Amino acid sequence: MHRQVFFRLGLPAFVFLTALWMTISCPAATAGISDNVKTTTLPNGIRVLVLENHKAPVATFNVFYKVGSRNEQFGKTGLSHLVEHLMFRGTKKLKPEEFSNIIQENGGMDNAFTTQDYTDYFEVINKDHLDVPIGLEADRMANFDPKGFDSERAVVAEERRMRTEDNPEDALEEVTQAQAFVEHPYHWPVVGWMQDIQHLTLKDALDYHSMYYSPQNAIIVAVGDFDAAKVTKQIAEQFGSIKNGAKPLPMPLVEPPQDGQRRTILRHAANLPAFIEGWHVPTLKSSDAYALEVAGEILSDGKSSRLYKDLVIDKRMVVGAGADYDMTSFDPPLFAISGQLRPGVKVDDVLAEVDTQVKQMQDTTVTDDELQKAKNLEQAQFVYGQDSIFREAMMLGVYEMLGDYRMVDRYLEGIEKVTAADVQRVMQKYLVAQNRTIGLLEPTGVLPPGAGHGGGEGGMVHHSASIGGAL
Amino acid sequence: MKTRFRFLAIVVAVLSIRVLAAGDACALDIKRMTLSNGAVLLVSEQHQLPMVTMAIAFDAGSRRDPADHPGLASLTAECLTLGTRDLTPEEFNRKVDFMGSSVSVDGGRDFASAGMTSLSKYRDDTLHLLAQALTQPRLAPEDIERKRAEQVAAIKAQEEQPGYVAGVKFNRMLFGDSPYGHPSEGYADSVEKLTPEDIHSFYDAHYKMGSAVIAVAGDVNADEIKAKLEQEFASLSGAVPAQPEPPAPNVAAGLHPELIDRNVAQANIIMGFGGIARSNPDYYKIQVMNYILGGGGFASRLTQVVRSKAGLAYSIGSGFEAAKFPGSFEVSLQTKNQSASEAIRLVLQQIRQIQEQQVSQHDIDAAKKYLIGSFPLKIDRLSSIAHFMLQIELYGLGLDYADRYPKLIDAVTRVDILAVAKKYLHPDAINLVVVANQQEAGIKAAALETGQPR
Repeated sequence: MHRQVFFRLGLPAFVFLTALWMTISCPAATAGISDNVKTTTLPNGIRVLVLENHKAPVATFNVFYKVGSRNEQFGKTGLSHLVEHLMFRGTKKLKPEEFSNIIQENGGMDNAFTTQDYTDYFEVINKDHLDVPIGLEADRMANFDPKGFDSERAVVAEERRMRTEDNPEDALEEVTQAQAFVEHPYHWPVVGWMQDIQHLTLKDALDYHSMYYSPQNAIIVAVGDFDAAKVTKQIAEQFGSIKNGAKPLPMPLVEPPQDGQRRTILRHAANLPAFIEGWHVPTLKSSDAYALEVAGEILSDGKSSRLYKDLVIDKRMVVGAGADYDMTSFDPPLFAISGQLRPGVKVDDVLAEVDTQVKQMQDTTVTDDELQKAKNLEQAQFVYGQDSIFREAMMLGVYEMLGDYRMVDRYLEGIEKVTAADVQRVMQKYLVAQNRTIGLLEPTGVLPPGAGHGGGEGGMVHHSASIGGAL
Repeated sequence: MKTRFRFLAIVVAVLSIRVLAAGDACALDIKRMTLSNGAVLLVSEQHQLPMVTMAIAFDAGSRRDPADHPGLASLTAECLTLGTRDLTPEEFNRKVDFMGSSVSVDGGRDFASAGMTSLSKYRDDTLHLLAQALTQPRLAPEDIERKRAEQVAAIKAQEEQPGYVAGVKFNRMLFGDSPYGHPSEGYADSVEKLTPEDIHSFYDAHYKMGSAVIAVAGDVNADEIKAKLEQEFASLSGAVPAQPEPPAPNVAAGLHPELIDRNVAQANIIMGFGGIARSNPDYYKIQVMNYILGGGGFASRLTQVVRSKAGLAYSIGSGFEAAKFPGSFEVSLQTKNQSASEAIRLVLQQIRQIQEQQVSQHDIDAAKKYLIGSFPLKIDRLSSIAHFMLQIELYGLGLDYADRYPKLIDAVTRVDILAVAKKYLHPDAINLVVVANQQEAGIKAAALETGQPR
């Protein structure tokens, strides 16, 4: 197989709002997996979950902090994500990036990510060296001392340019989300608004770390080819004596019910129009969550799904279309349908077609065959997920942050109970116009303003100039 | 739900560059067999989970595209799962989805890869669907036409991504009309011209089991799966004639800039020159050298200098694309338009430095420890085990590769690294593609060439 160096020549299916998270609500764990998890709560409040998995000679170590962009304040957006970057920029003992260097020298890889709800730091490593990340993660929880604040903030600004400003789909998602959520902090993007990023200070970061990166706000999950008792002991030794700071501020905000359809237009450098439609829906705290999950499966999982079959195959309207819902969101999220239009297709025609598809699921029940297919897909993905220890750790961590890791075991049961009537009911209840926000991307072409001839009909514009003469 | 990965792009770059590493602790038990149709079969029995993954590499990658039909191999691959002789595309999709299985055929550059994943209980049914798609594809003109339109739209969508545009241009400059010179998926206007006849004849000529490699990992018995494959693929015999190796890409002396003007906040930069084939005996020395230069994520010099110290980029990395034929060496990064020249200068400086100065003992030790120690991470899932087995066979690495690899890496010396840096890096004969708002970027090629900091 040809290995692409930076995956920059691939043709990945176009799906908005994707990320790993689309699959997270399908747990990576077997029914009854929680029986094998060993849990401990250290005296300082850290929850520790350890699970042996001897499939391959590797192990993963995760530290979840219950802090994400939903905990930020107006004017300080992006702070959670910036702190995550700074966690690699040194401690009282370590120089910048030394953390990653040590992990790599031990045959491991490390990374971290920030979501609206939480931040996860993780390593995947040769099983013989799991003690290394355990020690290093404890160190940066207790001894955070980042160096080079200005250059890291500049790196984050570059990240925002790459992921959002030069990415029309992400830019559209950002403004749509900001329209759908007015009072709740899901209003702003995880990466933060550019001006906020540029005004964040080292003091902001240090204060944030001392409030949110304390033992009482952390959950540790280790999964892999090890002895659970031994690993638990190592974790207790390294993390047990870390002191708590002030209690994290509560985040009580609730988005008020939406009082009418909202529609927003983004004009952006692009060739093809795109759309997102989002409806406010509940989390797994509501029993409707499972029916919404199944509705999403029927709409967009697989080539026989309704949206793919209708919009991609039969009507040829979009490059790709997807339905996205994550029941493990901490606060009620959006159920979103999105897509990128093919050249020459009118956006109103696509929106009308999506309406037809939604209405069909409201007016008539899905077939037994479709319902069973959705459940079979969930079950199969459930097994496939167990092939990755990282996904197992993610599942346990996310459910534990939501209250109890043992909810993992109830997931398939919840899916299994969904009836065709349930699917119809949740479609009728939530996917209504009053509760909907529509975001439309109006392409302005890809050439800079004033760069001469127009942006072209969706084709690649090679406006190249040779410079420097003979070299 | 949205997530922000701190340096996903870099990690991806590293993972994809560092190819195969190994440690004796985790040598896989691989069974190698040959089917009567000539296909080589590699099986790794893994019974921990009730699932199975299969990957088949056909000598049908885009390097086989006729010169006037860029994108034909890729479109052919995409069309093979549009139903079978007995099943319409819709029936086919429904059967696959109902089992929760996946069945796919994807066109790559060196090879096309067909594959499936299923629960154990659906293994035979899923395999049967995959085999039907490969041996008796429907290839109905109306379905091909539909898929072609889809592919054209997908390419146009990709062309919105500045990084994609930069990559296509870079390969075009470096490889020209040779087999690696066009994107696997082709160009929108070349794909538009492909006909059902083109697809049929490409399929007939290139989907031959005699040139195929099959890798199976999961809950299977090797003899049983072999028998099953014999039965399912009996009709696809014959082999694809070898393809003559194209001349290695060569960049003339000097810096060759290609500036593409786009309304973007960041300059997307790719710079590089011709590289090596996977069969190059210096491969392991080059791998260690590149890890230190730009393949090793935060341990690499490019990331340290351009990202960590200067704060100029979120993602930067370098890699040798070592494939069947000599590929490219390239450095890829994104930085705000105004910093483009500065970033390019820093990169050139680092390339020159590793050619002039021997790396430190610490640097080489760290690189070797990572490359050797991280091997288990490359075979910790069924799909990666299958991928690993394909590599072993396609590039002739041998079933004992996992045992040999640590020794190959460990043997590399500081002197070797200096030697391969001198031999395989060419900062004085380099192509440069910059997709940016050119007015903001204001690149002056003459100033870049010195590689000196401002």
